[in-house]
Amino acid sequence: MKRFSIFSLAANALSGHRKWAPTWRDASPRPGYDIIIVGGGGHGLATAYYLAKVHGITNVAVIEKGWIGGGNAGRNTTIIRSNYGLAGNGPFYEWSMKLWEGLEQELNYNAMVSQRGVLNLYHSDGQRDAYARRGNAMRMHGVDAELLDRDAVRRMAPFLDFEGARFPIQGGLLQRRGGTARHDAVVWGYARAASALGVDIIQNCEVTGFVTDNGGAITGVETSRGTIRAGKTGIAVAGNSSRVAAMAGLRLPIESHVLQAFVSEGLKPVIPGVITFGMGHFYISQSDKGGLVFGGDIDGYNSYAQRGNLPVVQDVCEGGMALMPMIGKARVLRSWGGIMDMTMDGSPIIDRSPVDGLWLNAGWCYGGFKATPASGWCFAHLLATETPHETATAYRLDRFATGDVIDEKGAGAQANLH
Amino acid sequence: MAEPFTITEHTNLALATIMARKGVDPAAIEAALADTQLIPTGPGTWLAVSYCDPPPYPGEGRGPVPTPDLDPGLRRDTLKDLASVSDQSGGYIVYRFSGPAARTLLQRGAFIDLHPSVFGPGSSAVTVIAHIGVILWQADDDTSFDVALFRSFAGSFRHWVEASANAHDRHPDESRDPWDPQV
Amino acid sequence: MRIPCPFCGNRDTQEFVYRGDASPTRPDTDEAMHDYVYLRDNVAGPMREHWYHAQGCRNWIVVTRDTRTHEIISAEFPR
Repeated sequence: MKRFSIFSLAANALSGHRKWAPTWRDASPRPGYDIIIVGGGGHGLATAYYLAKVHGITNVAVIEKGWIGGGNAGRNTTIIRSNYGLAGNGPFYEWSMKLWEGLEQELNYNAMVSQRGVLNLYHSDGQRDAYARRGNAMRMHGVDAELLDRDAVRRMAPFLDFEGARFPIQGGLLQRRGGTARHDAVVWGYARAASALGVDIIQNCEVTGFVTDNGGAITGVETSRGTIRAGKTGIAVAGNSSRVAAMAGLRLPIESHVLQAFVSEGLKPVIPGVITFGMGHFYISQSDKGGLVFGGDIDGYNSYAQRGNLPVVQDVCEGGMALMPMIGKARVLRSWGGIMDMTMDGSPIIDRSPVDGLWLNAGWCYGGFKATPASGWCFAHLLATETPHETATAYRLDRFATGDVIDEKGAGAQANLH
Repeated sequence: MAEPFTITEHTNLALATIMARKGVDPAAIEAALADTQLIPTGPGTWLAVSYCDPPPYPGEGRGPVPTPDLDPGLRRDTLKDLASVSDQSGGYIVYRFSGPAARTLLQRGAFIDLHPSVFGPGSSAVTVIAHIGVILWQADDDTSFDVALFRSFAGSFRHWVEASANAHDRHPDESRDPWDPQV
Repeated sequence: MRIPCPFCGNRDTQEFVYRGDASPTRPDTDEAMHDYVYLRDNVAGPMREHWYHAQGCRNWIVVTRDTRTHEIISAEFPR
């Protein structure tokens, strides 16, 4: 792999940028691998990279039904943060944040990681208390958190509606190390680094079934490009986890729901970081290109359609107008929908499945992007060592049976409330 | 020139929900209450509307007073084996929208079709305006509509009325395109 | 997406509350209760599901809807 540097950039500039090599190798399937990862999104590619880099397992294939990064990795709002309150989540997301902080040097790839801060606004005394509690929990896990009062928020974001708003802003919980990253670049960076270590990245290769031995253990996958044998098969196909798992006879504690996101026309820099509204489901940041990137709640019904409906568009826009009326003049450029693996407690699953040979990375709800590095790290750890990584011990598939759910919202076993 | 629309609050309405008992044919209830205005709100349920004098309310802000027998048609003994009756006179506020622009104004809030060809005299609907649940019906052959909503939402509802009526700095007028800001 | 409520007619989904898959029935045994509460078929295709017409006739409705396209195939009262 040719390293990117100022010198490689200068050299290629002199040749008119016509001599850049492909970033990663577009492989064809071989008969078998030690490990197959189903799903060429951020999580799957990160898993393959850490398998090769950390555990020295390079006989690995990532198989993807479309093109890499074409699913939720290309449909999120690029936010990274680790502001979780529960013990099962906090260390995992903080590990992810630490990996983000070193990611670009690690991969030698510009993923545009920008720690511009994530600010959760509060609008009532009760909400302030809840955020104070969450901030304290974060700090006890070694995560940065600051509780801001109204004046401090006003200094950061004077454009918010502080006067006469229906839900007056009282302050906010700020994680300065949170921010955004360039979602496509994360995928490409992991693909490039994994490919350089010998991982086969196989696109247009859809899993159509599993190969099993006499004991029922999974020993490979049937695909649209033929049968591929595998010592272990890991699935990282959030959004479609239930469909793939069903081929192995599994029912998961997951419903697929659609989440919409929006981007406006490009504007001059105005939003300093990521800002979330505490009294409606609305959050916003500004991309380096200038577009306002914003979203809200899931639509709330089961969907595989990758597009949503107008009531949520209205809800998101109303939330935006209530929080920062200035955005009312900006035109929405595009909107899109991604399919979320909504679990019954709002937290993910990284675990072995009840079927021998099959391993699960699923249930990311609408928080998968920020988890990409740690998800890959922990799934690779699990596949290589057959024990969970220390930050992901709580993400068990059987936690719903044992009662050890990780329910940040306390919403119970109804997927569309998380 | 007449106002494009007017809005007034009914102060002399007695309201009750009528819910059919299990197994009762809804037609039997409609027959028993033939002299009372019934707004269908669901299968076997109605909002019964009748005018009473003196008004069921002594005045705004003083809360409801018990009104057990507002209308002979609603007497519980009439319906005792047919339906449950719950007095709602204090629960709902009912506004009368009148005038040539009333329909246009309501159409700005309700996402059901209020075109006269499908929503005319006698039509009614349970729906939502500005996130507020409403029961609305066309009150006469002309252009009057009654809109019932939970009394505690009245302030929010009036806010919607004012915001919608003042869109483009003028009252809506059916003779012109209400969405054309040039008019 | 508009749902043809059997009583109210075609209405925007904003008037409804979603509950989910209408197919599972409450089991008698504790062992089966975990599956009933937590596991889902998560159908990709036509699915029978419960919607509550909260801002309309306040009835539960069984809607058959294709989760891949949002096409509404039928809507009826459960009994």
